[in-house]
Amino acid sequence: MSVLSYLKEFLRPSWLKSFFFAKTAPLENPPYFRDFPQITGNECTNCLSCKMICPCQGAIDVIQENGKWMPYITYGHCVRCGYCVEACPEEVLTSGDILDKKRLEGLEFIHEYKVIVDEEACMGCGNCSTACPANREIDPHIGAGGTAMSDDVLMRVERGKNRVLHNDLCKGCKVCMDTCPNKSIHVVRTVQAVQEAYK
Amino acid sequence: MSLLQSIKNGVRKRSIHVCYVNTGSCNGCDIEILACLSPRYDIEQYGIYVHNNPREADVILVTGGMSPQWIDKLPDLFDRVPEPKAVVTIGNCPISGCVFNRPGCVIDPPVSKYIPVTAAVPGCPPRPTEIINAILSAADELFKNHEEKKEAKK
Repeated sequence: MSVLSYLKEFLRPSWLKSFFFAKTAPLENPPYFRDFPQITGNECTNCLSCKMICPCQGAIDVIQENGKWMPYITYGHCVRCGYCVEACPEEVLTSGDILDKKRLEGLEFIHEYKVIVDEEACMGCGNCSTACPANREIDPHIGAGGTAMSDDVLMRVERGKNRVLHNDLCKGCKVCMDTCPNKSIHVVRTVQAVQEAYK
Repeated sequence: MSLLQSIKNGVRKRSIHVCYVNTGSCNGCDIEILACLSPRYDIEQYGIYVHNNPREADVILVTGGMSPQWIDKLPDLFDRVPEPKAVVTIGNCPISGCVFNRPGCVIDPPVSKYIPVTAAVPGCPPRPTEIINAILSAADELFKNHEEKKEAKK
């Protein structure tokens, strides 16, 4: 008797329908999902803002193809943080709602360069002060030992050590880092995210 | 295609047994796999079942960037999976090592150096929908007409 009741239950059309044609949830991403950055078609100026802000190594490269620069995302390295989309001044990349949010809230990345000299390691040879293009623009007569008469230079050798006088002149070329014989000078790029209202 | 083969195809399409292997990941991808089991994504409605036993599995999901302890164990584990089998790697780590691949680190990506990988899902971590899509598409391609393919290989 109970078997019959079970059979009756299982042969009910509505049960059969829901059993064989169960509706599966659609495998779709929501519109606000921040996928891998896509190219919008704006012209890339090869400023490398995207590559400098990228926290992952090898995730983004700016490649020249047929005379046009274009960012190229490497899958498997990119973590979809969306910093490159936000940092690009030309809006070359897009991902989810990042660009809309950026325009709405006036988000921006501002950066500055900081020159740090390791006092312990610096031996005052003056290679960095002599090689620095910002220094040479201000004081063309800068000495081979990095001693300068001008007080407006970025850095100069004082009392056998290299001293940084005006950090804001640094353009981040890192020539000083290349010329330093014992790696005692470092150029650090610090980035700050600001909103229009708080500028 | 014989009748038996078509029945096997139909059954295999709705019965994919999955085993996941963490080869030194940060657990981000593992949590994303866990989200697939939750009612929102619910992988069992697609016929994917989780068995953490390689001898029962059809598909192994590899997360993590190959820590040295796994280098001899992962190929061993792969050998224990019965045919037909597929490997789906989840996340960036099995492809590139992602944030763990730094100077001085001991991990040794990619996973495809040690076992044949069918599909790789990039992302840090990937969405559950991407994981389910990868498992379904990889398993469908690989398990379809398995017996006939094996005959043709001989």
